Amino acid sequence: MFPVEAIGSTMPDPRIDLPQGTLDLLILRTLALEPQHGWAISERIHQVSSQALFVQQGSLYPALHRLERKGWIKARWGASENNRRAKFYELTRLGHKQLEREENAWRKLAAAVAQILETT
Amino acid sequence: MLNDVLFRLRSLFRRKSVEVELDEELRFHFEQQVAKFIQSGLPPQEAKRRARLDFGGVEQLKEEHRDARGVTFIETVLQDIRYGLRTLAKSTGFTVVAMLTLALGIGANTAIFSYVNAWLIKPLPYPQADRLMVLETHDKKRGWTSEHFTSAADFFDFQKQNTSFEQTVVWTDANFNLTGDGPPALVEGGRVSWNYFDTLGTKPILGRTFTPDDDRSGAPHVAILSQGLWQSRYAGDPKILGRNIAIGGEAYTVVGVMPGTFQFPLMGLANLWTPLALTDKQCADRGSTWLPAFGRLRLGVTRKQAQAETAVFFAGLEKRFPQTNTGMTLLVNSMTDEIAREEGAPQVMICLCMVGLILLIACANVANLMLARATNRAREFAVRGALGATSGRLARQLLTESLLLFLFGGAAGVFFGLWGMRWIESQIPGHIRGYLVNYGHADLDSTTLGFTLGITLLCGLIFGLAPARENSKLNLSSTLKEASAQATGAKGSARLRRIFVAAEIALAVVVLISATLLVKSFMISVRSSPGYNPANLMVAQLALPRTKYAGESRQRNFSEDVLARIRALPQVDSAGMASNVPFGGFGQGVEFEAVGKPALQPGERQGTHFTAVSADYFSTMQIGLVRGRMFNFADTQGGSPSVIINQTMAEQIWPNEDPIGKELRFGDQHTVGTIVGVVNDVKMYQLRPRPERQMYVPLAQFPSATLGFVVRTTADSTAMATAVRDTIWTVDRDQPISSVEPLETLMIIVDAGNRVLTKLMVFFGVLAMFLGVIGIYGVMSNLVSQRTHEIGIRTALGASRPQVMGMVIGQGLKLALIGVVVGVLGALGATRALATMLYQVTPYDPLTFISVPIVFAAVAAAACSIPARRAMRVEPIVALRYE
Repeated sequence: MFPVEAIGSTMPDPRIDLPQGTLDLLILRTLALEPQHGWAISERIHQVSSQALFVQQGSLYPALHRLERKGWIKARWGASENNRRAKFYELTRLGHKQLEREENAWRKLAAAVAQILETT
Repeated sequence: MLNDVLFRLRSLFRRKSVEVELDEELRFHFEQQVAKFIQSGLPPQEAKRRARLDFGGVEQLKEEHRDARGVTFIETVLQDIRYGLRTLAKSTGFTVVAMLTLALGIGANTAIFSYVNAWLIKPLPYPQADRLMVLETHDKKRGWTSEHFTSAADFFDFQKQNTSFEQTVVWTDANFNLTGDGPPALVEGGRVSWNYFDTLGTKPILGRTFTPDDDRSGAPHVAILSQGLWQSRYAGDPKILGRNIAIGGEAYTVVGVMPGTFQFPLMGLANLWTPLALTDKQCADRGSTWLPAFGRLRLGVTRKQAQAETAVFFAGLEKRFPQTNTGMTLLVNSMTDEIAREEGAPQVMICLCMVGLILLIACANVANLMLARATNRAREFAVRGALGATSGRLARQLLTESLLLFLFGGAAGVFFGLWGMRWIESQIPGHIRGYLVNYGHADLDSTTLGFTLGITLLCGLIFGLAPARENSKLNLSSTLKEASAQATGAKGSARLRRIFVAAEIALAVVVLISATLLVKSFMISVRSSPGYNPANLMVAQLALPRTKYAGESRQRNFSEDVLARIRALPQVDSAGMASNVPFGGFGQGVEFEAVGKPALQPGERQGTHFTAVSADYFSTMQIGLVRGRMFNFADTQGGSPSVIINQTMAEQIWPNEDPIGKELRFGDQHTVGTIVGVVNDVKMYQLRPRPERQMYVPLAQFPSATLGFVVRTTADSTAMATAVRDTIWTVDRDQPISSVEPLETLMIIVDAGNRVLTKLMVFFGVLAMFLGVIGIYGVMSNLVSQRTHEIGIRTALGASRPQVMGMVIGQGLKLALIGVVVGVLGALGATRALATMLYQVTPYDPLTFISVPIVFAAVAAAACSIPARRAMRVEPIVALRYE
């Protein structure tokens, strides 16, 4: 068993920085499956991305509240897996539409970038 | 969008619970994370530490979260307000002075605007009042408009044939002698067409209004009472309908009671109405114009359309009746405008302009105070800037402070304004309240409050913006480096303040010159001789009922009996009587023709005021004889009557001739009289008369039903009034007396509007000058304290004290002179608007235009001398050590 700090210092960090604006897309995508609380959202992104993406709480919660303000997601209090009071976020109808829009935009962008990378 | 707003509002107003929720959410996250680390095998302590590390700064997170909630702007505003309140509370002196200044300015505006609102903005208290039109005679040749309809015959023709009006009404005001049910009383009211109330659109609270049958000559007498009269004289008798009351000795049946709120300002106070019920002869009369008229336009008909139809109709009458109608037409004018004009709307608008200028002066003063204070706060701003406040943020802070200050000033101003409104109302004599909408009462209603709030915010924004912009310019290093607070910088600020001061002095000069012109007019009108001596003169007026005093001999016997008894009263020096006396409310005119002069053109009329007087009327009034003789006791019944005319009539009809011995034909009977004397002009109806013709005949030959007794006495006026009343009642105990008052009181009542205006002008003038002088004093004294150091060096280098003092006063005076010159130029343009309100003073009165600037400059110099003296006393050592 080695100290946690050692992991960080000896192993190359597998995490990558999220490009501007992608966090919203990832949150919306995660919530599209089922309502989740904040912690579960970050965990899920972490797992599904094979530990490549890690969302800092510092960006997660402001992002959640920003999305809530825009009316794409809504929050309600519910019980967590271990029966704790937790705030669950779910996608609104507006949010579904927004997700579709952002997914399309992202796919186009990714394809375009990939194309450029391959040809040069 | 809506979602966004709701979210922000919830965040704002339920901040506490939102914060608690956020705490809970973050704690949950934290604990989940810890649980995960424990599961992965870390000891609990280590797991917590690790989670905390991942978590980062909780407060920073919360802050970001708040930004995401989007309430930062509103929260900053709230923060600014809290900070602003603290700053204002800390500098009590500044806050109180600024607030009082603003309260005076805003309060004056509130008070005056409440009258603008009551008289010009609020609709008249009748349904669809914009359809009500007054009908006024217009003489095309002379360009002269009278408020009276042309004649009864013209009116009834017009009423039958016009298509523009739903209803048309004629009316005349009347005084009713009410007897029985208490002491005899003279009640003001009107004789009106049957549809008078229906046209105005007011329903009675009891009974009915008049019917066409009531309005026929010879119909049974009916009357309608006001609620006030019903309650005061008849104790609110529930069985008043159908009850008989005695008016002028005849029985009238009460058919209705009008609500207490009913009022018709053109008629004045009215508590009793009877139908006009003109006789057939009166209806057929096309020659005399004596009936005021109004009408209600049909729905959808505009004033212009009605005017066009009316003009065509009267052009037709001109052709059919050239003898009476040549040159006469009828104007259709808005009743709202007419009433506003009668009330003195032009005067109110002048007042509004003046208080507007005064508000600007007050605002400039406050802006200057803020600039001065902000200069002293330069270090505070520099420190805040160094700590990260942007200049926009500082400007917003300053603007918030100024808006707060203005709002407080505005709130205090509302109270001041309320007091001003009550004061104005209290200055209106009871006799003329009936002519004012809502009896001269103005409400502090939502329109007025809205206006007050509007000007407060507008001024706060405009006058707060300049100081905010000026002072938020950050120059950190230089300000912080300056060891003392003697910020010699802020050049822009100093320049701005000098501009403000010069501008406010200019405005004050405009106000002061305008006010002086109006006050001077008033003084001239009050001081110029009325043509008689009104001091120690009592006037008693009454109207004899025509039924009881039908014949001339009865009227003559009554009047001579009363006069003889009054003359016998103790302390009466002399007494006389006339058919109408100055400022008495009765009045009469006749048409006349001078014998031996070219005949008048068809349709041309020549009239003169007409008064029948007793032999000792002129001597009692002390009216001066210009030539010829007064009436004597030989001028009695029979024979060609003697006539006395006034100077104006002599000059107009017999220019360069001696009128004595000339003859004239006058009145319906074409009586021929011989002129025996000329007397000086007297003020009969107004204190600001235009020259008007006036003729006098002996009362013995022309007995009158309206009588005014004039009594010159040394006795106390109240005691004398009672004695005169009792004397009249010993002759006829049923005779109502309309008034017994000193003539000077009657003159004041008539001139009440000008009196109020003049008092306001004095107040506005003083206020403007006071604010202007305070402004220049403030700037100079602040300048001196900022330059203490410099002055110390000058003194140390050998400047003499008078030199220092001269320098400061010179600087102040320069500002004052710039302001005064601009002000005088401005006034030259502005006073033209006053022309119609001036009396024997031109809008460019040289004396006013010279003396006001001189006085102003002198007062400004005196104000500057106070800081100048302080500058003079600066000890060089102290000033240098100050560093």
